[in-house]
Formats: sequence, C-alpha cells, structure tokens
Amino acid sequence: MDDSAKRLLQRLVRRIPTQMLRDTLDKWERLTAKQREFVDFTQSKWTITQELLAVCEERELSVKHIAELEMIYVIGNPNQGMWHTFQLVDAEDDAHSLELVQFKEQFKSHLSELKRNVAVKIKKHTDEAVWIRIAWGDTFSRPNHLKATYVVHYLQTPFVFVSGLLSKHKPLLLQALTLSTRHQGIKDANLSGQKLTAIRDLLMRQYQHVFPTKYPSPLAERNQSVSNLHIENEQAEASANRHRMAGEAFGNGMLPALQSAVYKLETKFRDLTNETMTERDKPLRCVVKFSSPNILESLRHCASTGIASTPVTPLLSSITLKGRNYFVITDNAPSASSQMCQTQD
Amino acid sequence: MEGVSTRGVLSHLSLLEDQASSRGSRVLQQPSRVKELRAKVEALTSQRDQLKAEIQTHKNLQKLRPSVDKRRAAGEEEDMDVDSESSELLRLMARHSELSDLLHAHHLIGGYDVIKTRQSKGMCFSLATVYEGVYLDTYNLEIDLRPKVRITRHNIPPFIPLNNLAEQSDLQTGLRAFLDTVSQHLNAFAGRKQQLKLVKEQHKSVEVMESNLLCSILVLMFTVPKEKTPLLCTLEYTDHARCLPTRVHLDSEDKRLPDAPQWKKNCSLLTEVPVHRALTAIRKSRDIV
Repeated sequence: MDDSAKRLLQRLVRRIPTQMLRDTLDKWERLTAKQREFVDFTQSKWTITQELLAVCEERELSVKHIAELEMIYVIGNPNQGMWHTFQLVDAEDDAHSLELVQFKEQFKSHLSELKRNVAVKIKKHTDEAVWIRIAWGDTFSRPNHLKATYVVHYLQTPFVFVSGLLSKHKPLLLQALTLSTRHQGIKDANLSGQKLTAIRDLLMRQYQHVFPTKYPSPLAERNQSVSNLHIENEQAEASANRHRMAGEAFGNGMLPALQSAVYKLETKFRDLTNETMTERDKPLRCVVKFSSPNILESLRHCASTGIASTPVTPLLSSITLKGRNYFVITDNAPSASSQMCQTQD
Repeated sequence: MEGVSTRGVLSHLSLLEDQASSRGSRVLQQPSRVKELRAKVEALTSQRDQLKAEIQTHKNLQKLRPSVDKRRAAGEEEDMDVDSESSELLRLMARHSELSDLLHAHHLIGGYDVIKTRQSKGMCFSLATVYEGVYLDTYNLEIDLRPKVRITRHNIPPFIPLNNLAEQSDLQTGLRAFLDTVSQHLNAFAGRKQQLKLVKEQHKSVEVMESNLLCSILVLMFTVPKEKTPLLCTLEYTDHARCLPTRVHLDSEDKRLPDAPQWKKNCSLLTEVPVHRALTAIRKSRDIV
C-alpha cells in the first residue's frame, strides 16, 4: 500500500465515528469476515488505524479501494460539508433520453480530455442518484485523493449538487457535466447548504405542498387549549387564514431542513428620519442572513403566528417557490438576480 | 272608358260566381276539416298537459335538490302532496339529475378539478393520475390568468419537462391542450412507475439492474431455466407520454438465444402488454425462472 493510500485510510478512520466505521467496512466488502473480526473497534482510533492498515496490506489494497471506502461513507452520510447546486440549461434534443452508461462514458472521457491525471469513480445509488468522486491531479502530480470533489446528479433532472470543489477546477467540472448531460450551459442555482438531502428534497419537490382546495382540512383538531375557548373563537378565522397562507407558502408537515437564507441587498437606504443616509445616491450594501436548524419551519411558524405578515412576502416564499436560498435584491427588481424564468425555476 | 269599367265589373262578377261555387264545395269538406282540427286540438292539449306535468316534476325536483344534501324534515315536501313511494323516487331522480349536471360541468372543464384563486385572477388545477383503476399521486398547478396566462406554482417533479410542454402548446390560447398534454405525461409516468413497483413485488426472480427517476428506461435480468443463463432485457420508453416501451432489446452470452422464435415472441409481447403482466405470461410459459 503506497503512501497516499495509507494517509487516506488514516484520515478516514479519524473522520468516521467508530460505529459507522464498522458498518461502512461491512458495506465495502473488500475485507473478509475474518479480517473484519480481527479489527478491535473498542480500542483507540490509533490502534484501529494500525490494525486496518495491516489488514489492507494483506489484501494488497490500493488508494483506489480506499477511495471506494470513502465514497461509501459519504453516500451513506451526505449531510456534511457544503453542497452547492448548479442548474443545467438549454437541453439538447437527446438530453431526455440520456442513459446511465452513456453518461458515465461521456463524463469520464470529457473530463480526462480537459485535465490529465484525474481519478473518477461513478456509482449509482438505489435512489437513482448518480454519485461521482473526482480526485484531481495534473500533468506533474498524481490525483490528490485527500481533497476529492463529490458530485451528485439525478438523470433527466437539471440539477447537479457539488461539494469540495476548488475554484480552479470549477470550469472544467462544469464543462464536463454540461457536455456529458447533453446540455448547452450550466448556471449557479443559488441554493447551497450543509444537508444534501434537504436541498435535494426542496428541488425535487419532495415535501408536502399545500394547494387551494375546495375542502380545506378543518383546523379544529389542532392543539386548542380549552381554557381559552372564548379568546380562541375571536381569533379563530384569522388564525386559520394565517396557517393556511403559511402552509401554501412553505408546505405542510416536515419541511426540508434548509439551514440558511442569504439576502444581499443593493438597495438605497430608506428611512425618513435619517436624512444623511437617505441622501446618498449609491445603494447601501448589506447582507441579511437567516440561520436556523430548519429555516423553512421557522419561517412558516413566523407566518402562521403572525410575526411575519401574511400573505407571505415573495422575498420569503421565493425560497420554496424558486428553490434557492441566495438572493440579490436591487431596487428595480425585488427578487431577481440574473436569469429568472417565469414558469418554473 | 266604358269598356274598362264594363270589363272590371264583369270580371268581378265572374269572380264572385266562382267563389260562390267553390264555397259551396268547401262547405261539403267542412266535417272532415272539422275532424282534422279537432284531432289537432286534442293532440296539442295532451302535449300541453304532458309538458305541464314535466315542468311540475322539475319544479319539485329543484325543490328537493338542496334538501337531499341536508336531509330536511318532511315539512318541506308538504306542497307536493305525493305519497311516500313516489317521493322516494323523486328524491332519487333529484340526486341523479344533480349528479349528471355535475358530471356534465366536469366534462366541460376537461375533467380536471379546478378552483378559483386570488379573487378569480387565478386558477388551481388538480391533475390526478390513475393506473389500472387505482388512483395514484395527484399533482397541482396554480395558474395566473391576468395579465397573461402563466404558471406560478406547482408540485410536478423536475424530470417532467413542464417548461418545454408549456412552450410547445401556447399557454395563452391553448391552456386546455397544455393541461391535457401534462396530464398525459403525468399519467404515463405514474403508470410506468407503478409497473416497476409491481415488477419488484410480483417477480422476485427478476432482478432490476437499472432504472431512473422518470422510469423511461428499465434493464431487467432474467434467468433462463435450463442452463441458468442470464439474459439481459432492456426496455426503452422513449415516448414519455406512453406506458409501454418503444423498444425491447435482449442481450445474452448465448448469442442464439435472442433470435430464438419464442424470445422474438416474448419481445413483441413486452412492447404490447405492461411489463408486469408480460412477465407473468413469460414465466408461465417457463421461458424464464
């Protein structure tokens, strides 16, 4: 086992919690049962590392195999690191009938044309996601497996999720993706977060939407404290309306756990009591960031309890409507950034 | 001058004579004419009575319709004074007419559940998907009508190319056509998804090697009974508005197998019949395990 393989293995053992390490090794299937039993998981991480190194040497495993182990771990625990979303645009005619095998071949060939010495591993997960792990090298150095980029793409959708990408590699990766998915362009989708499952569920619309219906569900069952019966009756209709509008803007039930929303303001300062600031011609630049373990639930709660006014302002409802959490707000177009499609984003 | 007036009088006199003679013959026709007219009168009277009865029934039905839903007391029906049996019948007829009116209205709007939103400035359409008599997911589209027709919100998954479909059928004039196309795509997708689910449930000996979110490609692994040779079957659903594959392709180590006559038959069966049912037939004929 060469140096890079050893270092990668050491890194992995340090990074992965012990219990998960055991499960990941089982899924890896590169070690025999006997070898797996040999590793004593009750010991310190250092001991585990030494034992694993010995066992992997026995099997003559290379850095490619260890990279596989890392990939299995990341696929099973995707809600780490920072994921950024890109959107493919201008599909060619055959984009919609793209097959997995075709995509894999094309991606590998395009990427290796653009950059020498890249190690690419592609794996299809059971939920139809295509996972790509890229270790970047160049003409003078071997692929660096310690700083791999991960890409997740669902075929026939326009979205690509990327984590661990350096800016110098960005144009290469984006070009390879655009070509291999048979599109003409790719743009930033302005949606990022730590939890891949959250941003994926938001874009795939995998949460409970609320649409106007003829028979809305009665709110009578929702925690009504009997003691305040009279006060509740006064507020009941207004409260029900707020709940409904909050639900329509953000959804019902469990919402994707988005953790932040960022608004970059480039608007003129507006406050009648402060003339000095209002006089300035240039826009006041400031950034407003909302953070929460689950920002959509927080915003929904704000709207349904009346903290935020209803109907919900498009600034907030655009998060779910357009599937993005980074907005640039200028005076002319309140919720626009660069390209805005009218029908579906 | 004299000649003219003489002619005029004489011709007039002859005319009167003619009329007198014809009236005489007409007097003879009177009884039959009277009979005719009497019969006509009778027919018209009975038609009038019939129409009156129908109007009355309709009025009663209209009165009954709101009360069928709310089950009001018999006091409401006092002014109809019919016996209990026919009131039951009238109730059923009222319900029937109400339902057929509803169905007619539903058919007029294209069979989609619609609701007005935003003080009639928008509409929300509900597209239901059905496969083999089972209701599957329902998708919704909120559409603004003014200033121009555009889709504001929906919960259709991103692998259904909604934007492309909206561009193809002009939203402004052909909203109904657009909805029909979307519904077709959604129903086809739901059908293909359901077929895949049934294949996994009903045919555990068949392994699903590849599929995708849109369910537009399916690669299955069959096991041929005698030598246990694996047979790879690729089903391509290139027409995303249909539930059946457009192409079926077989791959095997044994090159002669895909060309065997019963496998050519099986291939064509797979393009004509939903995959889970085709597999049942193929397994029954013992072509695969």
